[in-house]
Amino acid sequence: MKMSTTLKALSFAAAAALAPLAAPQAQAAGTVTVAVAIDPGSWDPIDTFLVDWSSVGNNIFDGLTARGPDMKLKPGLATSWEFLDNNSRIRFKLRENVKFHNGEPFNADAVKFTFDRLLGDEGKKGPQQSNYNSIDHVEVVDPNTVDFVMKQADPVLLTKLAGYGAMIVPPKYLQEKGDEYFNTHPVGTGPYKFVSYEPKVSINLEAFPEHWAGTPKLDKVVFRMIAEANTQIAELQAGRIDIATQIPFGLAPTVEKDPKLSLISITGPTVVALRLNTKNGITKDVNVRKALIMGIDREAIIKAVLLGHGKPIASFQADLSFGYDPNLKPLPFDLAKAKQMLQQAGVQPGAPVKIDFRGNEATFREVAQAAAGFLQALGLKPSLQPYEPPVLLNDIIPNGKTGEAWHNAWGGWTFDYDNTAYLMYHSGEKWNPYDKDPKLDALLEKQRSIYDVKEREKLLQEVARYVADQALEIPLYNQNTIFGVNKRLKNFEPPSDRRFRFTDVTVE
Amino acid sequence: MALAQAAPASRRWFRSFELVLGVVLAGGMTLAVLFSGLLFPDGGESMDLMARLLPPFQNPAHILGTDPLGRDVLARVVVGGRISLTVGVLSVLGAVVLGTLVGLVAGYYRGVAEIVLMRFADIQLALPFILIAIMFLAILGTGVDKVIFFMIIAQWVQYARLVRGSVLALRDREFILSARAIGVGNGRIIFQHILPNVLGPIVILMTLNVANNILLESSLTFLGLGVDPLIPSWGGMLADGRTYLQSAWWVSVFPGLAIMFTVLGLNLLGDWLRDYLDPTGQTSR
Repeated sequence: MKMSTTLKALSFAAAAALAPLAAPQAQAAGTVTVAVAIDPGSWDPIDTFLVDWSSVGNNIFDGLTARGPDMKLKPGLATSWEFLDNNSRIRFKLRENVKFHNGEPFNADAVKFTFDRLLGDEGKKGPQQSNYNSIDHVEVVDPNTVDFVMKQADPVLLTKLAGYGAMIVPPKYLQEKGDEYFNTHPVGTGPYKFVSYEPKVSINLEAFPEHWAGTPKLDKVVFRMIAEANTQIAELQAGRIDIATQIPFGLAPTVEKDPKLSLISITGPTVVALRLNTKNGITKDVNVRKALIMGIDREAIIKAVLLGHGKPIASFQADLSFGYDPNLKPLPFDLAKAKQMLQQAGVQPGAPVKIDFRGNEATFREVAQAAAGFLQALGLKPSLQPYEPPVLLNDIIPNGKTGEAWHNAWGGWTFDYDNTAYLMYHSGEKWNPYDKDPKLDALLEKQRSIYDVKEREKLLQEVARYVADQALEIPLYNQNTIFGVNKRLKNFEPPSDRRFRFTDVTVE
Repeated sequence: MALAQAAPASRRWFRSFELVLGVVLAGGMTLAVLFSGLLFPDGGESMDLMARLLPPFQNPAHILGTDPLGRDVLARVVVGGRISLTVGVLSVLGAVVLGTLVGLVAGYYRGVAEIVLMRFADIQLALPFILIAIMFLAILGTGVDKVIFFMIIAQWVQYARLVRGSVLALRDREFILSARAIGVGNGRIIFQHILPNVLGPIVILMTLNVANNILLESSLTFLGLGVDPLIPSWGGMLADGRTYLQSAWWVSVFPGLAIMFTVLGLNLLGDWLRDYLDPTGQTSR
């Protein structure tokens, strides 16, 4: 007891002594420092699909539309839009008097240039083009009006225009300096402009006073690349970063206990399931698949392994997702019934269930072991096979070489079930190595051609219900997005997709 | 004068201390592992999500506490030794058999066989181990059998070079020449006259390599390239405890100590054996 008060006194003294020294050098007035895990290497919007790119890029660039933490779509560089010619043409009115950071004006030509580049040869080199293939081309109507001519219907397009590959880039700057230079010296119309970039270390931004939505309240935003979660937390505790984006669930209590920090845990896009092999093994039988779902106590896993930072799911999407059906409930945990179902299906005790998973994920490693524990209690013989992620994702899954179950984690920033469901369940897709279900294919294709929001939502809900009915997967949970944040930050609205936009944030 | 006499005495004492500690540590761990089935019939696998991360030395049912899934750490440490010792011993035995054969053939027959085999060994020595391990296991998949197989492939070279060197020194000695002169066959010369004379250094290298391979298995499993995480193993337990280093040290510290004591014990034994078998170190016996 005595020892601990002495220690406390000592650490206070140390903190008091160090504070005036450390504060000015680490945090100038009005600077926020954020730690991200990965350095995307290139800041060109068409070069990446990394969330960490967007954590930074969302401050440098603007899209025609915008979506904030409230998930509502609002005008960005376009002030309004209308659908013409039976939805095959979308007309955007552009915001006037907008400037890029280098002084270049934003206009219809910039929009056309951006999408010609994204859909052309330069875009082909990156991973973004395929998300925007529904656009045929962009036509300039007048300097402040553009038409998107569609190749096929795409109800999610407006959302997709709010981020990643659809961020508007400056034509003259790119033509003069070239793509290579642009990768490391990005210029956009966003609230912060690029200052300097040291690969694998940090990227520095400063406020762009001429931003169309007004001058942002901070002077500077610094993003540091720190891959190791323990390091991010240590830096956060030391006050050298303000926001940590990489906090494993097991370490959440460490942040929670710190009086200077707050832990933010909000619904995120990431959903995790065990997909089942419908072609081989005991999981061929739909009743066995249902028994496996019922035999795993998903609530207990969320409570014990995720420490409550997650929600049970009935389909492979978060409750923020378009296509979510609140009336679709997960199958309940019922060990006795599951055992009985297995028996009725003629499954022998000790039947093998192999779970293939990405070996680098600490949280799922625990989840998989817990799930295996429940399968053991069902009388089955589970085994776990960790893989290097590229091997699992590029060979084992697409070539149908998985065991009875495999680890499936997904988190689309668009929060639309279409993208997920189509890639997961449509015949011939990479993530669907085992099934060819004409009924499911038809449903998935039909919803892609429908712009009517209500009708499309109903169709997507039907897809979710059908998948649940076929028990194609064991839906485990929707895990929360977690941030550790220094309490000196004010007005910080945490985005569940981690696409920060520091326009209103202030610091003490 | 007094000093000169004191030195061997203290060394002798140290040598026997080395032996005793080595036997106690390595032997104790081996015994515990051999009887782990009786001590912990559940194999350290029974899970209780409501009793997760219990601290050690507080609950008589979990003397060393529980891990993030509520499994008994003591049971898993003891049972986990099975994998470590199996991998350590089997991989070394495999590498010894393969390496010794190659070394004997290369050293005794020389010629083309020696050039081909030894250049092959040189190439392999030039490859970085962990990198090759990651590639190899990423392609073949993981599992105890593959880890053992890989270690054999990676380590036979050491034995081959060691044996070849000894054979080169022996093959022209008088007793071999006389054996050949009275018409003893090559096979018999190799296995009856040469092999017993090269066994000493092999045995020493073996003890050190068992220790080394236990560490390697733990590293590979820690990296997710080793054995099934469901099977208790020391490396796997370290990986499980990694996120909890700040909040629940016991999850990773106890398997870490188990690795440390086993490896230390084996190394002490190896040191003692080296001195015991080394003909020039007679005084220290």
